[in-house]
Amino acid sequence: MKKLLKPFEPILNKSLDGMESFIHSHKKAHFLFGALFGAFDGLLRNPKETTQTQPFLRNNYDVKRFMGAVLVALIFGWVLPATYFFGWQCVVTKLLVSFIIGVFVVDVLWAIIAREDHISEGGFVSCILIPAILPPQSPLWLVGLGAALAILFRNVLGGVGNNLVNPAIMSRLFLTICFPSLLVTGYQTPFVGMPDLHSFRYGLDAVTHATPLAAFKLSGETPSVLSLLLGTTNGSLGETCRLTLILSGLWLIKMKVVNWRIPVSYLGSVFILSVFFTLISGKSAAPPLFQLFSGGLILGAFFMATDPITATYNQTAKWIYGAGCGFITILIRNFTTLPEGVMYSILLMNLLAVPIQSFMVKIKYRT
Amino acid sequence: MFKGKNNNSAEFNGGFNLLEAYPVRFCNIIEKVASDGAPETFAFSAPGQNVEHVIVNLCPTEPWSLPNWTILEHKTVVFLDKLKEIRSRYLSHAKFYLAISISEGDRIPVIKEYANRETWLEISVLDAKYPQDEPTMFAKVILGMDIGFGQDTSTQGILILDAQTISAIYESCIMGNNVDARFIAVSGSGLKENEIIHVQLGTTVEKILTDRVREAGKRRVFVNGPLRGREITDFSRKIDWSVNNIVVMEEKDYKILFPMFKSSELTQTTNLLGEKRQCVYCNFCDDICPVELEPALYYHSYRRGEKHRARFYNLERCIECGLCSFICPSKLELLQIIKECKNPDKNS
Repeated sequence: MKKLLKPFEPILNKSLDGMESFIHSHKKAHFLFGALFGAFDGLLRNPKETTQTQPFLRNNYDVKRFMGAVLVALIFGWVLPATYFFGWQCVVTKLLVSFIIGVFVVDVLWAIIAREDHISEGGFVSCILIPAILPPQSPLWLVGLGAALAILFRNVLGGVGNNLVNPAIMSRLFLTICFPSLLVTGYQTPFVGMPDLHSFRYGLDAVTHATPLAAFKLSGETPSVLSLLLGTTNGSLGETCRLTLILSGLWLIKMKVVNWRIPVSYLGSVFILSVFFTLISGKSAAPPLFQLFSGGLILGAFFMATDPITATYNQTAKWIYGAGCGFITILIRNFTTLPEGVMYSILLMNLLAVPIQSFMVKIKYRT
Repeated sequence: MFKGKNNNSAEFNGGFNLLEAYPVRFCNIIEKVASDGAPETFAFSAPGQNVEHVIVNLCPTEPWSLPNWTILEHKTVVFLDKLKEIRSRYLSHAKFYLAISISEGDRIPVIKEYANRETWLEISVLDAKYPQDEPTMFAKVILGMDIGFGQDTSTQGILILDAQTISAIYESCIMGNNVDARFIAVSGSGLKENEIIHVQLGTTVEKILTDRVREAGKRRVFVNGPLRGREITDFSRKIDWSVNNIVVMEEKDYKILFPMFKSSELTQTTNLLGEKRQCVYCNFCDDICPVELEPALYYHSYRRGEKHRARFYNLERCIECGLCSFICPSKLELLQIIKECKNPDKNS
């Protein structure tokens, strides 16, 4: 790879330098394209800043790699399995719409209007999550609107590093309120078997069915754990194949991008509480393993509740945060008319993360 | 009973194994460098009666620091005999602790056998992760004592000596020879070759570096390592006994295409290796902190303009190892912020 790129390097370097000096010397060009060029340049080249204070040696790990690891994990976690189960036309177009509207339109426009000096790479993570938490048959405009809202929410709250709630979930909540009918229908049945050209493109032909959680609310029937794990039951585009989600989540834990305390406490509290409720109320409460592997719980526990910016910083507080998510999820699933509670639980705990954090700091340092 | 004995695992959380991350290989031919003027001589004043614990540091944690083999060679027992002689002459009532890196392999059984015979000597085999060789960490891991950072350890009855100082004490005080030179490790990406040199005290840095640095490109020079050491710009500075190593790093203050395929070109340079961003609360800094602090709390206090609040969060326990700044993916200057919060009046 290195040898292959070698002949292009001097030309590319020269043209990038030329563009940079042009943008910096023209005020209008800088105003319009400064942030965009900075983001593009940042993908290809390392910055030229050097260490000015102790320590003078820095680790080769930056936010770009941090976010890149999440992107890679999500591609293996939901994009590839969803392509098999629902067809590439469904997945790729939604991803394209989400990225183009979210990152290349809304974020770039925001950077121009708000005079930001850079475009954050965190936008890609929010935008890859948007199609994952919408039904497979949701229209493209809904995906685009979701991505736009997510990026807008995040930027209004101060950008990456200051957002109070997970932008992707916030936008999902907004869509749930505005278009309730679109978010309870369109759960296409996944394709199972040897893929041919037709199924690889379209998946199964538009057979929709209630999600396992909704079906349980109605009739009390539960699918097998294996089918939930492999992803042959229906659900949102990115939440069905739990096996790959768990594997890529574990990889992120190994890479230290995801803090293991949150998935462990979240899934653990869901399991313990559902065991408790099945013991008390018998068949009217969902069984523990069905609770764990249904709905968006795995996706939420590994990829959304663990968003480090919206979770608590203190390590002990992460246990409370994760357990709180599990508690609210079980409460909503068992005692309300809503079939799924992961979205609300993560949103609520995102808001509670700030008081939990300051409370734990107070206890730890006795201030 | 003393708890660090024969313990093969490190006893503090956090830390970072620099020796694995940045391997430095030295040429094993040792060159001599003579100073132009009259060399200074090594002087040792006998410690007072209050020294109870002597820690012998054979556990360098930074890859660019002087390796043990330059002093010990294949004569570990001879070195231990020297130690015994020094003890009987100056520190007869003190207990000696030998902190040795686990990577020393062949030397450990020899030393263990020796320590079994001698009651005054204890051996601790330590994982050589940075900053194990910081006095505070030594006292905590080996003695189980809490001493503050930046204090003179001798007031607490602890004396920490490295291998080279021990052989110099032996040469000058017991054999009566004049010690006027010491070994220094010279390494880094800005040099032609990583070397160990035997330098007369009082030699200027300039003299050492001429003919050793690469001609092309900018470079920066650090004495005692880029993490804890200081940058020097005045090359007429003379070498004294406190200089353990000199690191010359390439400056790399320009953009390089496709850095993901050229990681070897950029490591061990002064480049930041990433763009400055806001704190993303990734927990890297408190995971790596050897004294279990939460550096991001200081950053947020500082950013809100409440430097004084940082002191509520155990700030005084910080040993200024710089690992939080080293690991931060957002490239925040955490150590600088900590230093400013420690002395809010001085720097504001």
